[in-house]
Amino acid sequence: MKPEVEMKLQNKTSAPKWQFIYWRRAILYLWPSILLFSVFLFYPLLKTFYLSFFLTDQQGMANVFVGLENYQYIIQSESFHKSIRATLIFVLLTVPTSVIISLFLALIANEKLKGIGFFRTLFASTMGISVAASAVVWLFIFHPSMGLFNQLINTLGGSEIEWLLDPQWALLSISITTIWMNIGFTFLILLGGLQNIDEHLYESARINGAGYFYQLRRITLPMLSPTLFFVITVSLINAFQTFGQVDILTQGGPSESTNLIVYSIYREAFVNYQFGTASAQSIFLFLCILIVTILQFRFGERKVHYQ
Amino acid sequence: MKKFLIYLLVMTSFLIVTACSNDAEGEENEENETNTEESATESNDSSEETSDSENETVEAVFWHAMSGAGQESLEEIVQSFNDSQDNYRIIPEFQGSYEEALTKFRSVGGTNDAPAIIQTFEVGTKYMIDSGFIEPVQSFIDEEGYDISQLEENILNYYTVDGQLYSMPFNSSTPVMLYNKDAFEEAGLDPDNPPQTFAEIKEAGEKLTITDGDNTERYGFSILNYGWFFEELVATQGGLFVNHDNGRTDDATEALFNEEEGLRVFELIDDMNQAGTYGNFGSNWDDIRAAFQTENTAMYLDSSAGVANTVETAPFDVGVSYIPYSDEAERNGVIIGGASLWMSNGIDESQQEAAWEFMKYLQTSEIQAKWHIDTGYFAINPSAYEEDIVQEKWEEYPQLKVTVDQLQETESTYATQGALISVFPEARQQVVTAMENLLEGTDPQEALDAAKEETDRVIEQANRANQ
Repeated sequence: MKPEVEMKLQNKTSAPKWQFIYWRRAILYLWPSILLFSVFLFYPLLKTFYLSFFLTDQQGMANVFVGLENYQYIIQSESFHKSIRATLIFVLLTVPTSVIISLFLALIANEKLKGIGFFRTLFASTMGISVAASAVVWLFIFHPSMGLFNQLINTLGGSEIEWLLDPQWALLSISITTIWMNIGFTFLILLGGLQNIDEHLYESARINGAGYFYQLRRITLPMLSPTLFFVITVSLINAFQTFGQVDILTQGGPSESTNLIVYSIYREAFVNYQFGTASAQSIFLFLCILIVTILQFRFGERKVHYQ
Repeated sequence: MKKFLIYLLVMTSFLIVTACSNDAEGEENEENETNTEESATESNDSSEETSDSENETVEAVFWHAMSGAGQESLEEIVQSFNDSQDNYRIIPEFQGSYEEALTKFRSVGGTNDAPAIIQTFEVGTKYMIDSGFIEPVQSFIDEEGYDISQLEENILNYYTVDGQLYSMPFNSSTPVMLYNKDAFEEAGLDPDNPPQTFAEIKEAGEKLTITDGDNTERYGFSILNYGWFFEELVATQGGLFVNHDNGRTDDATEALFNEEEGLRVFELIDDMNQAGTYGNFGSNWDDIRAAFQTENTAMYLDSSAGVANTVETAPFDVGVSYIPYSDEAERNGVIIGGASLWMSNGIDESQQEAAWEFMKYLQTSEIQAKWHIDTGYFAINPSAYEEDIVQEKWEEYPQLKVTVDQLQETESTYATQGALISVFPEARQQVVTAMENLLEGTDPQEALDAAKEETDRVIEQANRANQ
């Protein structure tokens, strides 16, 4: 800061003027992001909110105001209930599992061994594959007559499972695919978190005679908690917004058992061209994620240990 | 340092602003480019044929949804059209699936940026008519006195609404039943006399099914979980999909597919499913075809456009027959599926002319013959079937002829004309869900009623929104 500016800062008689200058400077710094956020986030959000009170015509224009009818409809709709249920089960199936598996992989990959770099790359590799590509690979694995899983079961003498065609199994199959896809990202972030933990902590613990699991519980997990918190939050939001694998593997079928909310929104909007109901569903999803995230920050963050 | 940072900030924001407004400029540039291109071809033309200085090449964009063999063949056809004359140039652009192409068209329809021709699937017909973005081809037919009687009547029927032909049929297909002849012999059935009614299908299905403990190695019969096949099985019994004569005499207000004709189809599936003779291979075309190829199912319904390929690749003898009908009804025939070509109305007249010329070119029997043997879609101009290349192909694959016979034997009724509803994609989806629920053990009538109720709601909503 230049000396003349500092001098002026001390001059408190013109405080309002200076506040204005600060405000202006703050805006100057913020306006690129405000601009981008408005164009790509705030405007679509408001527009969605607006559309959710209308029926749309062939051109997708809002032309009949229906008040809360779209909301009433989705609240009563059997298929939307199924959609919410499927989404919640899906979140519960995927988020804890992928975080636990990735944590395990990160812990073993954090050991200093020869050639560990190879395994680290291997474990993180699913991050490099696009959702579409990996879903197509899984499509073959789940194939009813020629798929890898069913052939394995056949050679072991079990009875075949209709992975994607049986409503009992379809959501689980999607979850397996998603967990596999998530592992790369969560693993990488967690490994980064582990590497950041101060070596000295372990050293002192060892000197005091602490065992591996004691160290894990008392040092690793608390020190890793900011990273874990981040990973869980992001995975939760991602799980709520899952789309690609559903579109490619099941198209929401069989019997709507995998019709997750975002897929259901997509179908309402771009297959059925009912932008009104689709917008109402979007607003509902937005509120769900908002609440979950707030709850997480309220209750989850208490357990987080920041250095 | 700080000044520099602010400077940087301002610069980046300028960059963003210019990046945002770049779109418009980009388009202008493109236009300029095409203009220069055009003038370049113009000058070429004029240098070649100096006498004809008014000669301008009109470019017309053609959005299509053909991939694979269809795209290859289509691009060859467009190329040959462009080479055949100097006045018009058609630019084919692949726009993804029918649904995706239609979604894109919704956003540009009625503007200058709309393509001159767009290929739209049959269930989009009502939407296109109501959209106001299209010029009925009938107006060109009337203006020129063009004779369309040469075209296949049963195909024209679908696209004719209130006596007007709205779009030019292009790639049309119908469903047929494919069966494994070797399996028929093995099971003691006559391979040249496939089952024709629902009862016969049931009976044959039992004989064809092979089980090994809990696993069923081969199912008797399968239908893809796709609304189209259900619609066809209802129509062949003379059943209507929606009221007001399938939406042909007035806007449909109610679905009728849960009445006796639809129920018979669902009962057939339900009975066979419970008897363990019905194989469910999901809603993916490739999966059910693979299941047939690997002899996991002995009979299934497929599109006529898939026949040639299946016959060619199957390791056994493949039979093709008409789709089955109920014992309690007469056979009415099939509804045309596939897609047709629509002309935009917001565009330049010269472009419309180019589109019209191209459409006429597509009707010629040589082009239709090529299209039929390349893809397996019908020739919309039946004289194409007389062409040598078609006759040769038919000799090699007599199964292909069955598909044509089935179409030509179809009686023209409201049922076989097919339903006209703007919310067809949604209605199809409801039927698919009903089929899936049925396979999970829901009562046939209950499953259909639920689908009907939901379809009625969207029809009502669409009618209200588009008043």
